[in-house]
Amino acid sequence: MSNAKERKHAKKMRNQPTNVTLSSGFVADRGTKYHNGGGRHFHQAQKQEPFPGTSRQRQTKMTHHSPVDPDVKEQSSSKIMFKKKGGWKAGPEGMSQEIPKYITASTFAQARAAEISAMLKAVTQKSSNSLVFQTLPRHMRRRAMSHNVKRLPRRLREIAQKEAEKAVHQKKEHSKNKCHKARRCHKNRVLEFNRRQKKNIWLETHIWHAKRFHMVKKWGYCLGERPTVKSHRACYRAMTNRCLLQDLSYYCCLELKGKEEEILKALSPMCSIDAGLTFAAVHCLSGKCQGSVLLYRANRYPREMLGPVTFIWKSERTPSHTSESRQLWIWLHPMLKQDILEELKAACQCVEPIKPTICTPGPLLTTSEEKSQTELPDEKIGKKRKRKDDGENAKPVKKVIGDGTRDPHQPSSWISAATGIIISDLTMEMNRLRLIGPLSHSILTEALKAASVQTVREGEDTEKTPHHWWIETCKNPDSVSLHHRQEAIFELLGGITSPAEIPSGTILGLTVGDPRINLPPKRSKVLPNPEKCQDNEKVRQLLLEGVPVDCAHSFIWNQAICKNVTENKISDQDLNRRRSELLVPGSQLVLGPQESKIPILLIQQPGKVTGDDRRGWGSGWDILFPKGWGMAFWIPFIYRGARVGGLKESVMHSQYKRSPDIPGDFPDCPAGVVFAEEQAKNLLEKYKRRPPAKRPNYVKLGTLAPFCCPWEQLAQEWESRVQAQEEPSVASSPSGEDSDSRRDKLPCAPTPENTDLWSDEGGTSLSSCSEPREAMDTECPARVGTEWVACQDATGSLLCVLRSRKWLKQLSTWCGPSSRDKRAARRASGSGEPAPTRAACLPLLERFPRALVWVSLALLRKGSPEPHSMICVPTEEDFLRLRQDQLYCGPQESKHSDPFKSEIRKQKERKKVEKRQNKQAPTEREGLAGGPPAAGHQALTLGLWSGPLPGVTSHCSRVLLGFVTQGDFSMAVGGGEALGFVSLTGLLDMLSTQPAAERGLVLLRAPASPQYRFARIAVEV
Amino acid sequence: SMAENREPRGAVEAELDPVEYTLRKRLPHRLPRRPNDIYVNMKTDFKAQLARCQKLLDGGARGQNSCSEIYIHGLGLAINRAINIALQLQAGSFGSLQVAANTSTVELVDELEPETDAREPLTRIRNNSAIHIRVFRVAP
Repeated sequence: MSNAKERKHAKKMRNQPTNVTLSSGFVADRGTKYHNGGGRHFHQAQKQEPFPGTSRQRQTKMTHHSPVDPDVKEQSSSKIMFKKKGGWKAGPEGMSQEIPKYITASTFAQARAAEISAMLKAVTQKSSNSLVFQTLPRHMRRRAMSHNVKRLPRRLREIAQKEAEKAVHQKKEHSKNKCHKARRCHKNRVLEFNRRQKKNIWLETHIWHAKRFHMVKKWGYCLGERPTVKSHRACYRAMTNRCLLQDLSYYCCLELKGKEEEILKALSPMCSIDAGLTFAAVHCLSGKCQGSVLLYRANRYPREMLGPVTFIWKSERTPSHTSESRQLWIWLHPMLKQDILEELKAACQCVEPIKPTICTPGPLLTTSEEKSQTELPDEKIGKKRKRKDDGENAKPVKKVIGDGTRDPHQPSSWISAATGIIISDLTMEMNRLRLIGPLSHSILTEALKAASVQTVREGEDTEKTPHHWWIETCKNPDSVSLHHRQEAIFELLGGITSPAEIPSGTILGLTVGDPRINLPPKRSKVLPNPEKCQDNEKVRQLLLEGVPVDCAHSFIWNQAICKNVTENKISDQDLNRRRSELLVPGSQLVLGPQESKIPILLIQQPGKVTGDDRRGWGSGWDILFPKGWGMAFWIPFIYRGARVGGLKESVMHSQYKRSPDIPGDFPDCPAGVVFAEEQAKNLLEKYKRRPPAKRPNYVKLGTLAPFCCPWEQLAQEWESRVQAQEEPSVASSPSGEDSDSRRDKLPCAPTPENTDLWSDEGGTSLSSCSEPREAMDTECPARVGTEWVACQDATGSLLCVLRSRKWLKQLSTWCGPSSRDKRAARRASGSGEPAPTRAACLPLLERFPRALVWVSLALLRKGSPEPHSMICVPTEEDFLRLRQDQLYCGPQESKHSDPFKSEIRKQKERKKVEKRQNKQAPTEREGLAGGPPAAGHQALTLGLWSGPLPGVTSHCSRVLLGFVTQGDFSMAVGGGEALGFVSLTGLLDMLSTQPAAERGLVLLRAPASPQYRFARIAVEV
Repeated sequence: SMAENREPRGAVEAELDPVEYTLRKRLPHRLPRRPNDIYVNMKTDFKAQLARCQKLLDGGARGQNSCSEIYIHGLGLAINRAINIALQLQAGSFGSLQVAANTSTVELVDELEPETDAREPLTRIRNNSAIHIRVFRVAP
């Protein structure tokens, strides 16, 4: 009988009636004993498996031990054995020569009695994880056995009863002893929801998302990561051809109020014109456009990056008294908020917190008060609840709107006595939705209708009506005409087929009516209306000049009006009731003056602006509106055919736009470092979850850092590499230190020393290049290992990312034709973009010795890159083979040896020995476990490099240049595309050595693959 | 046809300092696409574009959903290719297809992004030729 079969049989027979199995077991045992012919008895160590198969197996197993045991002559010995092993011992039946001469009746009976009791115990107790009815043979199973004990054979009922009781106890107790119906009741649900969003902020669309998305807790929010339906490709199509909707309300808004000069003066040290336009750009300053800027710690450019932000200035309605008091909104990612807020406060000298009761009165406080009032009785015993409920009916529970986690006593705005600037944190005070794709115009114009102008008869008191701010506005003819102009421009949008046609960053303010009122009865897909698309002069003007400055005005900048709008929202329930009271079901609901007017702000988001191809891809509109209205806008958009994406889709969006993802692609800003650490931790955990044989051995693959990119080490190693190359040439030429003379000498024809070095570096053939590389291999790890640790402490801040537009433009021409467009390639090779000479690079390298450059990579042939792929420098031989064979995929990395494997094996053996020792002498365990060798080797994981990394650049056969941070098969290009950072020094070094035809070609290698693949590098500005 | 070099060249270069402005070309204004509109470009394979037109004219397996006429649009450099596609379609149809061409001028917008804070962004209009070929069935 095979092992598995035996086990199966044993399991089946476990709870069988004792009399049957025992007797058969004895018979079988006897038989085997005779067969074996051994006059020896045997022990059965097991308690309850007296079946032929298992016992035989046990017997063979026990043969090692049985000779050791003394022959049994006495019952007393059997008793001892029984006590020790917990089993029973078969008497020496059938062997004539070993039959004892006498037995003592009392001890014999005692021993048998103990055995019998043990057997009985074994029968009543079960020792497996399965439930009783699961152990029954199939023919004895009955329907509903698991919850009806009476369906089981009578002998098993007792055990089953116990099991059933246990299961009931294990069942999770409901937090409140309320029935399902009570829990579903609206008031209790709101209470429960309010409680659950105390820890992490919920967006207003949370419940909608939670039903359809995989939710993650990130940055203090609960956010939808990706839809539960399979929709990667569908979301891409939505972005390209239709419309993708995202809730970006988790983005934080910081408001700066004060004099224009003061604000500009305070902010100017935090950004640099070298890295792009600043807060003072004229078109942004007027409030016409949204600007984007990279923030640094004050006066620390180009180091100590804080993060990228976008900003909007409030447009001035009357340009006569300018710069008296301006409002500036800075929108940023929540992960960057803490750092930037601190730096802003320092820059504006805003230290005095304003009492929160002044700046955030009303809704927040009252909701929290009510919450505490209503939640307290809930915790008491259920008896009193009913009465309490009746009392509360008068005062309904309010939903948390906005930030539910914020402590109401914590200040959210700060003022400066010196500059008069007020900084307020407007996080979660507004909703921000993003529409991406060409259909966003149709969806916007279809879903939103400009508010109707309201006229008031003389006698009416406007103060009492809920929307008196709008009535007041409508009294002013200027405001009314502005509203009409805004409405006209908004309607024009419906005739423009893509948001990319409008000037980037255009801002349009508007006041719209309640979007819930003209909700279509069913979800449908809007199509662009061709009638609207007639070419006319107005559209042409809009495309050329954008929205006029005064039309950027919106009441959303006014906090009091926003508060009013939030508070006076008609609840969904009321709205539906009114709808049901309509005389003609399904007809248009007219609320008249009671209809809410919501101020909104529309901001055009430029899509892909860098590079040549797919210009304007992924452009769209952001819509800002006051809090509390999230679902009221969300559903109408979805009913017009927008598809919803989560965080994963925004990563895809930025990847296809070839723009860096916030905060993952900012390795020089603190948030980026934190992000990378978290990512590395998660990836490591995931890696460790797989068995060692089922996961790649990164040590053997030569991947030193598969989960995080050691940027600083990379930049630092390249710096020392290039220095090492330069040193001999400097030493040999006496005037080498003088950069001017070198500039004359070096450019087009390299000096002899240089050519030697370059050819060595590039490697004309394998034999010639292997020697210096080996030398470097042996020398680098030790040297770099020590230096690296030192550098981390002292000069870690040297690392920066090159963001100077001037130099990036220069780099992009050096990198050769950035597109795969043949014409461009021909033109470039014809005109011959000069290779970067050492002299030309020198000022750049001096300023940024350890810099990284953001590059995009397009694979030449097949292959789809992964994050953390390595970007390497190809050798001369690789180019040679590529030239010879058009289909050449790329070289392969040879297998590395794993120096840790023996270590791990030793550790394992040590553990085994320890275990054995522990078994033998359990008292010694404490002494052994605390020993230093065991603790020291805890960190080793098979397949990962442990300890400080050796030289990363020269670890593999191709020199490492950088790492990929985002990479995937691009559906837009139809090939692999990657984005990442390379060392600036390394990039220049590589470009200067490569021949013109192959300039900008690099090799990409995924962390878990030995295959290198060719890719073209491009710097896009 | 839309992929052009990044640096300002030609007339623009003469007038504007590239240090102060960066040229960005905006997408051409287009009308909503009907199912039988085909915009020809220089990036997609010629054969694929031809096959796409043929498929539209032929329809499904039993000739359902076939268009009686299609419009092939080409802009700038792609004019040649649009004509080529239309003529190939006609040649392969044994006389059942006819072509009618229209030309037009399309206004293209070039955006000039300032590199300094003091400058306003500028837009310039450039004209480019376009062709719209109607390929339609005639009763044989």
